[in-house]
Amino acid sequence: MSSVDITNLVQWKVNPGDTVISCVNASLMQDWLRMTRYLAIVTNGCSAALFVLTSANVPPTSVQEINIERIFPFDLNFKCDLESEAKDDGPDRFVAITYQKLILLFELELGDKSNMFVSELYEATGKVSEERGNEFLEFGWLQKYNPSFRIEQSDEEIEEQDDIIDNPEIPINRESLAKGASLLAMREAAIKFHMSKKEAEYTNTQTFRVFVGTWNVNNHLPTVSLQDWLACDIDPPDIYAVGFQELDLSTVAYVVSDSPREEEWRFQVEQGLHQGAEYKKVALIRLIGMLLIVYVRKEHFNHVKKVHVDSVGTGILSKMGNKGGVSVRMEIHNTSICFVNSHLAAHVVECERRNQDYKDICRRTSFSGFSPPLAIRDHDHIYWLGDLNYRIIPGMDVDVVKDYLARKKFPPILEYDQLNHQKRKGNAFIDFKEGPIDFMPTYKYDVGTDNWDSSGKERAPAWCDRILWKGDSIRQLEYRSHQVYRISDHKPVSAVFLADIKKVDNAKWRKIHEEVMKQLDKLENEFLPQATVDTTEIKFNPVNFLELQTRSLTIANNGQVPIKFKFVKKPKDVNYCKDWLTIDPFTSDINPGETCTIRLEVLVDKKSAYKLNSGQDQLYDILVLHLVGGRDIFITVAGEYERSCFGTSLETLAHIPGPIKEVHAGRLSELERQLRDSSQGLEAVGSYPVPKEVWFLVDHLHRHGMKTNQLFIQSGLTSEIEAIRTWLDCWSLDPMPGSVYSVAEALVLLLESTAEPIIPYECYSKSLEVAHTYQMCKKIVQELPFHKKNVFIYLCLFLRELVSHSDDNKLDVNTLATLFGGIFLRDPPWHKKVSAGKYWVTNQQNTFIRRKATFVSHFLTTDDPTLCQIVSTSGQ
Amino acid sequence: MANRSGPQRPNGTAQAKICQFKLVLLGESAVGKSSLVLRFVKGQFHEFQESTIGAAFLTQTVCVDDTTVKFEIWDTAGQERYHSLAPMYYRGAQAAIVVYDVTNQDTFGRAKTWVKELQRQASPNIVIALAGNKADLANKRSVELEEAQAYAEENQLLFMETSAKTAKNVNEVFLAIAKKLPKNDQNVNPSVPVNITAWLTICVLRAGHF
Repeated sequence: MSSVDITNLVQWKVNPGDTVISCVNASLMQDWLRMTRYLAIVTNGCSAALFVLTSANVPPTSVQEINIERIFPFDLNFKCDLESEAKDDGPDRFVAITYQKLILLFELELGDKSNMFVSELYEATGKVSEERGNEFLEFGWLQKYNPSFRIEQSDEEIEEQDDIIDNPEIPINRESLAKGASLLAMREAAIKFHMSKKEAEYTNTQTFRVFVGTWNVNNHLPTVSLQDWLACDIDPPDIYAVGFQELDLSTVAYVVSDSPREEEWRFQVEQGLHQGAEYKKVALIRLIGMLLIVYVRKEHFNHVKKVHVDSVGTGILSKMGNKGGVSVRMEIHNTSICFVNSHLAAHVVECERRNQDYKDICRRTSFSGFSPPLAIRDHDHIYWLGDLNYRIIPGMDVDVVKDYLARKKFPPILEYDQLNHQKRKGNAFIDFKEGPIDFMPTYKYDVGTDNWDSSGKERAPAWCDRILWKGDSIRQLEYRSHQVYRISDHKPVSAVFLADIKKVDNAKWRKIHEEVMKQLDKLENEFLPQATVDTTEIKFNPVNFLELQTRSLTIANNGQVPIKFKFVKKPKDVNYCKDWLTIDPFTSDINPGETCTIRLEVLVDKKSAYKLNSGQDQLYDILVLHLVGGRDIFITVAGEYERSCFGTSLETLAHIPGPIKEVHAGRLSELERQLRDSSQGLEAVGSYPVPKEVWFLVDHLHRHGMKTNQLFIQSGLTSEIEAIRTWLDCWSLDPMPGSVYSVAEALVLLLESTAEPIIPYECYSKSLEVAHTYQMCKKIVQELPFHKKNVFIYLCLFLRELVSHSDDNKLDVNTLATLFGGIFLRDPPWHKKVSAGKYWVTNQQNTFIRRKATFVSHFLTTDDPTLCQIVSTSGQ
Repeated sequence: MANRSGPQRPNGTAQAKICQFKLVLLGESAVGKSSLVLRFVKGQFHEFQESTIGAAFLTQTVCVDDTTVKFEIWDTAGQERYHSLAPMYYRGAQAAIVVYDVTNQDTFGRAKTWVKELQRQASPNIVIALAGNKADLANKRSVELEEAQAYAEENQLLFMETSAKTAKNVNEVFLAIAKKLPKNDQNVNPSVPVNITAWLTICVLRAGHF
């Protein structure tokens, strides 16, 4: 859903007469949680407000889903700060909304929508500062709304939120989690956020005296001492930032990067620094005529770190350095400071150009060496000095200006000061502070005098040279010009500040850092998926072939977050459970406080019986129940498998004289092992020619079912087949139970549950190839191992007889050949892997089915008296 | 709101690195693996700690010099029948604590086979610590300190006798591992998601398809 739609939806939500200017998707960051919100700027007349909205669905599909959570009127209590500047490939931007004591941090998505929103937000809040003169903005229209949280409550509420980290015992409500709150994964960002919130606890402050000076020297040489400017105070400053403009206007300066003037002025500056202390240079940066040098007192020098400089030209072609700004940034103890010396566009009418220069310097100044690079705004303290070139608005006549100046009445003129004006309008230097100006304009003088420019241009004197600052805990002590300097058409300006510099107490820092981490760990562990199961041991009753048993397992989410569980594969296993087990569901989601019951079904069928009978597998498995993102629980599944003739090879059955239940498990395994190890099957000696179980079933059908309609086609009953199984496994004096249909099905099942089909897998391909030629098929049969061959011929003869009763049983050769073709020539297990459901695969399968049927039908139709001899010749 | 460049670290020290390591606890059943973890992570001790059937997962952070080491701890089931599942947990682990019970010689023997298995099957650079737990029951001792120490030295294992009950050497053994682990850039992962689900949820939420 596009933003337009959301804006429209919210427009429906607000009262008639109120207008939604902009609406964006944002994430509310509350400690470790991130929740989806919508932010909307809503106006009514002159006043505006920020609405924080939630939605039942993300994105919302109807007005009803939208709920107004909070409303912040854009009044004097409202403040918003951009946490980081959006860059093309930069991080998301954060907007911190401050209202009285409440602070909410929102993350906006990158993109034009968010950029638009932020500029709207700034514009709307900027209006407020413009209106600050008018005490009363009308916010009555907001009374008609009923947000979830009222501002009056907000103070208490934020205390509570702030406490989460201090008191992790406060449970985070499940509702908010269910609504899409989620763990804030960015641990480092979280630690940073919390450390900065606790900054006061591990920092002390030390007050530094900061001297900032600026002078447009109009291309003149440093022929005078600078002490009257730089060292006119009693106390020596801790930090000096001295900026010059028009240091060198020679054309060479544009081309050649070094200028002898730089060195001369630097020397002169160092001569002029306060004698009461020793200073060391921190950085020097020059771009053509703009020079900025920063010094600190020697004793502070070791605490100055991460010094970086940058310069931005905004002059000719927006690149040349005749105009622009040079900047020095550094960290002293734990306060970051940025000094910017700029020379903005000249001339009264170029006010817009100056604003643009300011914005360009802000935008383009970038201190590399940080990731992402830092901008000017990313500093705790910013001092902006320079020839900003803002003039007196032509609205005040030059003579009037000069008249006021003669009487040293500055305020009326300052009303017409372009910088003040642009600041108020929000066009430049919005967040910067400037101290009251109580000195003569610094421009333009006739060089060598204190007289106003007499060039006849009739320009009004102006405060071109200014010093502004931004940052908490900075107090200005002095702001003045230095009229004694006459070598330039500008007078130098200086300002002295007392700035609180934060010093980190390492011991305290470590302690608090560890505390924050511990609490984060605690929260993290609390928010890990947690679950219990009602049992870790699933025990089945003795399991019989084809007898389904079901157990249940209940998983309870006793943690704080929704969980996703799934059974996972163990090393070396192909699946997450053995093929005799079914788990339903094997993966699912469970909400906190809820449970999920899983069915575990054990069913030993024709595929899994052989391994269990032969002792190659056991009814035992350890299941790994994995909580995604969290712990594992082991579930042991066990049962005793009741051995059966089903899943026992024909050879073994032929070798066992009595019922299989009476045979020792070891003997069975031994026979199966011998069979596996030999290529020719078991010795015929001492065995029945065909397994007695096959004989029992066929004999029963022979006696009772030859005329039964649709024998083998109509299915039997599961319960009867189970009874037949028991009868075969244990023997009984009772007649064989069940209908002939069930007996027929049991026969098919018995033949299908062996490890190897009657025609072994290795003969499979060859058999299909030669299926059309009887003699070739016969040869394959002749070469079968003894018992397999016997069973094959025995069954074929039985089927032939069955066909002879086709008038009664309605069976034909084709039907029986197709059915038994699939049994005698069972698809090798590796064939299943290609059945991808593609057309040609199905087609090929059909061909296979037809060929198998052809193979078998030879033996049902061909009159071949030698066929019986195959059996009799190898009799016992 | 502090600025991005705001003071996060004492001046003059490098930016805090966060390294994340997978640590697995192995050892005979009832030697106190879960108790060690519980003591380390939550500072608690339960006299009758339930037997772990599965593998418990917890995270805990320790600070070593300028590095923050975050352990992803897998506390495994000690019962023999779960032995074949152990590779699931020590595979990819950068650290292991093999625990035995100082009052039970058999568990020390079992610990040795675990060490052998790790040396053979686990990552070649795995940091292994041998912990002789229940050191508070020294009067019932059957594994001598010197014996274990000699074995540990021979096999280049970190070694400590610990007590989850009295907390003796519990933090220390984890700290010793944290110190020994290589803190190269490979393991420095400033924004490793706490868990992938949560992380994915965030992505999904941010993308707006929920």
